[in-house]
Amino acid sequence: MLYIHQTSAISPQQSFSNAAIDILHASVGNKLHVIEPDYPGIPPGLLRRMGKAVRIGVGAALPLLKHAASPEGIIVGTANGGMEDCIKFLNQIIEYEEGLLAPGNFVQSTANAIASTIGLLTANKKYNITHVHRGLAFENALMDAIMMSKENPEANYLLGAVDEISDYNYNIDWLDGWYKKEPVSNQDLYQTNSPASIAGEGSAMFLVNGISSGAIVSIQDISTIHSDDEKIVVSRLKDFVKKNLETDEKIDLLMTGENGDNRLLKYYTACENIFNDKTAIVRFKHMSGEFPTASAIGFWLASHILQSQHLPGHMIKRKFSDKKLRKILLYNSYKGQQHSFMLISKA
Amino acid sequence: MGVISALGDNLSANRNALVNGECGITTLGLFPSAYSGKLPCGEIKISTESLKEKLKVDEPAVTRTDLLGLYALNEAIRDSGLRTEQLEANDTALVGATTVGGMCLTDELYHDANKDSEGSAAFLSSYDCGSVNLFLQKRYKIGGVINTINTACSSSANAIMYGARLIRHGLARRAIVGGVDSLAKFTINGFNALHILSPGVCTPFDKGRKGLNLGEGAAFLVLEKEEDIHNRHPYAELTGYGNANDAFHPSSISEQGDGPYLAMKEALQTAGLDPGEIGCINAHGTGTENNDETESRAMLRVFGSVPDFVSTKSNIGHTLGAAGAVEAVYTVFNLKHQEIYSSLHFKEPIESTGLKPVTAYKKIKVNHAMSNSFGFGGNCSSLIFSKA
Repeated sequence: MLYIHQTSAISPQQSFSNAAIDILHASVGNKLHVIEPDYPGIPPGLLRRMGKAVRIGVGAALPLLKHAASPEGIIVGTANGGMEDCIKFLNQIIEYEEGLLAPGNFVQSTANAIASTIGLLTANKKYNITHVHRGLAFENALMDAIMMSKENPEANYLLGAVDEISDYNYNIDWLDGWYKKEPVSNQDLYQTNSPASIAGEGSAMFLVNGISSGAIVSIQDISTIHSDDEKIVVSRLKDFVKKNLETDEKIDLLMTGENGDNRLLKYYTACENIFNDKTAIVRFKHMSGEFPTASAIGFWLASHILQSQHLPGHMIKRKFSDKKLRKILLYNSYKGQQHSFMLISKA
Repeated sequence: MGVISALGDNLSANRNALVNGECGITTLGLFPSAYSGKLPCGEIKISTESLKEKLKVDEPAVTRTDLLGLYALNEAIRDSGLRTEQLEANDTALVGATTVGGMCLTDELYHDANKDSEGSAAFLSSYDCGSVNLFLQKRYKIGGVINTINTACSSSANAIMYGARLIRHGLARRAIVGGVDSLAKFTINGFNALHILSPGVCTPFDKGRKGLNLGEGAAFLVLEKEEDIHNRHPYAELTGYGNANDAFHPSSISEQGDGPYLAMKEALQTAGLDPGEIGCINAHGTGTENNDETESRAMLRVFGSVPDFVSTKSNIGHTLGAAGAVEAVYTVFNLKHQEIYSSLHFKEPIESTGLKPVTAYKKIKVNHAMSNSFGFGGNCSSLIFSKA
């Protein structure tokens, strides 16, 4: 079992240091940009050279590494890494017709720049890896951490995920029909009844190990699926529930990645329907926006909710009875092709 | 196993070329670039269109990276005899690595990212790294854990390691692991901006080396649990792996090669082997000033007396995200055929280390062989394969 001991998130909501998620920060121009802190832990010269993905990744990670024993591994999920640097370099190539170019953006553009910069700044020479499998980049990082922790339960690992909105990946996904054409506010995201969602970004980091004592939450199990068939998704969810819950045991909360895209609603509805109508349902994409590693923000929110035993009203889709929250099932779908289930329990 | 590189489009073509000491590095020819006709590269001389025809692929969104990946995957699946029901089962994993992904479409990406066109419609979902394995997964409906790893030039060594660990922890019964990268304007210009591309054919571990040659390629290996082997005869056993970070500089390795040293040490530890038991090493050996000297120091630190080693990048160039997998296949050849190939273009050793790679084909007795892969961001990995 993997236990989460500390968490840190830089998201479009007030999640960093003093989390205050009852107040919903609004989207601007169909985008939810992160609220960036001042980054007191990063030397200013270095901070200026960092692209946003590296900055929010390192910024969320450093507070977790301040007091804890140096982790035995740094495990990061990111679909795109430093997209902005990547395209800045691309623009140089085309605009200078492959002439003499400055390499800075090229080096910062590699997806592994986030995990390796955390390693560099904390002089950590241990296991260091970057999973980039689009909508399951965070989930694969999480599976990696689960395996690492089984191999070495006493050791701390830094687990996290990061993706940024750059003008460029926004343009590509917009052209491809994944961001809404009409203006939509995040407050009204679930009422839109049109295709596509709004863009988001964020960074969530977790200090994890195999020790239950002092933990906030544990991750009981995770399952990932590649399919566009909701029947397969439902059948895998049923297997997942059967495997992980005793016959009389129930989840207290279903948290879903519903994102206002009416093409994806069938997956969420089908999964909601396998639970009885007394199971409370909450959603989070109006807080994070849609991006490939948004499930990491969902995971951070689930941890926060289990710890605080408090649910912000704006998250609730189906009424919640006032019982103690112990188990949350998080279901997320990315573009209706990649799906994940995570069962998160209060430690 | 399956492999495609500048040496050939299948396992036996690659092995024959290695045995004969052939060099696949030629002047860049197949795609329009300012470096076309000038820069030496390990280019696969099959056009993207011919790859599509040979593979009978007509999906409009497919990229050269996807095609090279499919080419090697097809051979690996044929070679291993995996059946459709095994591929589709939810205990078959696919772990692939790539650093270029769909960015081989550098010009199309430029126009779409800057929204100065209606969108090269077909390619909008093909630019990221994940697109390659999503394409491969769909072709074969692979049912288990699917992942893509990008740790720069050590990516596919880490994909092999991740696949092995999925099996070890019961998260997969078998894992298809490997990597692919195709030549791209993006990487050619990136490495050129760093001034580490050799103007001539690369000369790994030579005193006068002037940098690396980029290459392209793909390789996949099918890993299975020992208890599932029964009476079939596997090529080799994956016995050790190590991953460490050099934590020194974004694009160069520390003077004493701490990251490479730690990765090799950890691989030996997981394999339960002493350094003296390693019979040969497929070195990272890019041919850059920094890599070859620091890797040499790290090998001296680990082994004292360094076993026979080569850089097959002298045959195929640096295939980036595919390098760890292609070179893992070559390392398995060392074990299977009890032979080592010539490291090409070497003349004089680096003064401070004095190490000489093997420069002529020979038969050797080898029970355990190591393969090194180091990347930007200090991401260093080392694998050990043993005679089955």
